[in-house]
Amino acid sequence: MESASANPYEHYNRNSIEEDLIDPDDAGLNDLDDPLAPPTSSDREPLTGNIQSSSNGPISQSYLTSSIPGEDRRAPTNTIDESVWQTLSRDLLAVWEKMRQVLWPKYLLGGLLQRGGGIGGAERGEGGSLAGGVRGLAGRWPDADVVLQGGMSEGLRDWDLWGPLVFCLLLSLLLSMTASKEQKSLVFSGVFAMVWIGEAVVTLQIKLLGGNISFFQSVCIIGYTLFPLVIAAMLSALHLITIARIPVYIVLVLWSLAAGVSILGGSGVVRNRVGIAVYPLLVFYVGLGCLCFIS
Amino acid sequence: MDNPAPGTLSWRLSSHPITLLCFLGFRIASVLIYLLGLLFTDNFVLVFILCILALAMDFYYLKNIAGRRLVGLRWWNEVVASSGDSHWVFESSDPNERRTNATDSRFFWWALYLQPLAWVALAIVAIVKVEVIWLSLVVIALVLTITNTVAFSRCDKFSQASNLASTAFNTGGLARSIAGGMFSRMFR
Repeated sequence: MESASANPYEHYNRNSIEEDLIDPDDAGLNDLDDPLAPPTSSDREPLTGNIQSSSNGPISQSYLTSSIPGEDRRAPTNTIDESVWQTLSRDLLAVWEKMRQVLWPKYLLGGLLQRGGGIGGAERGEGGSLAGGVRGLAGRWPDADVVLQGGMSEGLRDWDLWGPLVFCLLLSLLLSMTASKEQKSLVFSGVFAMVWIGEAVVTLQIKLLGGNISFFQSVCIIGYTLFPLVIAAMLSALHLITIARIPVYIVLVLWSLAAGVSILGGSGVVRNRVGIAVYPLLVFYVGLGCLCFIS
Repeated sequence: MDNPAPGTLSWRLSSHPITLLCFLGFRIASVLIYLLGLLFTDNFVLVFILCILALAMDFYYLKNIAGRRLVGLRWWNEVVASSGDSHWVFESSDPNERRTNATDSRFFWWALYLQPLAWVALAIVAIVKVEVIWLSLVVIALVLTITNTVAFSRCDKFSQASNLASTAFNTGGLARSIAGGMFSRMFR
């Protein structure tokens, strides 16, 4: 009796007690309530179910814990004594990694692979149904959620401002090239300011919606996703005919949007309020696309 | 003249002359482009782009290359993946393993603190002359240079504090001292 009172946890591991306790460490995925589990009959249902559930479902939590011992290229290296070439190549690789995610939007890839082209119309359709498709996917397919979350670990962790800077300069330059002589500098500075202010506003919106993303991370991602719009500006500078511009520019704007959504997907907003978070992004891209169109 | 006293501002005393000259070159280039650009061309857009690119390269070079080669300091901003909070990480070389050249460090700190002052002066000129477009460029320059200045001076303070600590506790073999990044390193 005395030993038992001295150590209250002595019999902690006995099976009879063990079975009564619900130890969060022992509980597996199957023991926890799965918000995605109830059978879904319509397309709308997972969406509403999702809003009521907590933002950190068991799936995303398990993903985060498993990512903790994952690869982290930066931490263990001693960067003080490396050569200049090592610094340059590492940063160039980081830039290329982000470019790759823009060139090949992860959400499209993951979605296509998992569904085998079943509901492919969602991405090929217009922007609204794309956002809806992401929402539906995030609710219905856990794998798609993991795909969205996975975008964060690689693409977002170390931000840089090279992409935003270069693409912003290119966009302003290309748009100002077609302007009349005396308006060149006005167009240039106008577009330049518009891009940065737009990025800041969209970022602020995501922050206010509770995305766990830092300010510069978001600016970095949005800046990199300007790449398709730079192509649009370049086509305008090459005097593409107006009729051909409409379909091409819509595709390019959607490409930007798809890249933005799939990379920003890990920011914590997407699961619940993707529509609100994505809408200003859409307005931003469409605005720049219209500028490219009329120039 | 042949043997200047150690620590004087002469590039021949530097132990990394190429790094030092590139560093000073980038620093001066942005101001020169800003001041003299319109003398050579009346293309505002070109001058603006060149100036911003010079500023960006200066920022990058100072942060990633000149800082660690000239004075053995480095800083960066890291983001905790789960919460999205960003925080500073400072890295500094061990003074036992590596001596920073007095000339290098004097050049470095002078250039580091003089550049923002120069841009503040140019900002005042731009405000007085009501040049809104140029003022925006000066604001970008101020943000970039002041960020580097603040970060490196904090980094220097951290390295001095941790060097004191490492000599006090005699933890030899500590190749580098990281402050501020401890939290993320333990939980990642």
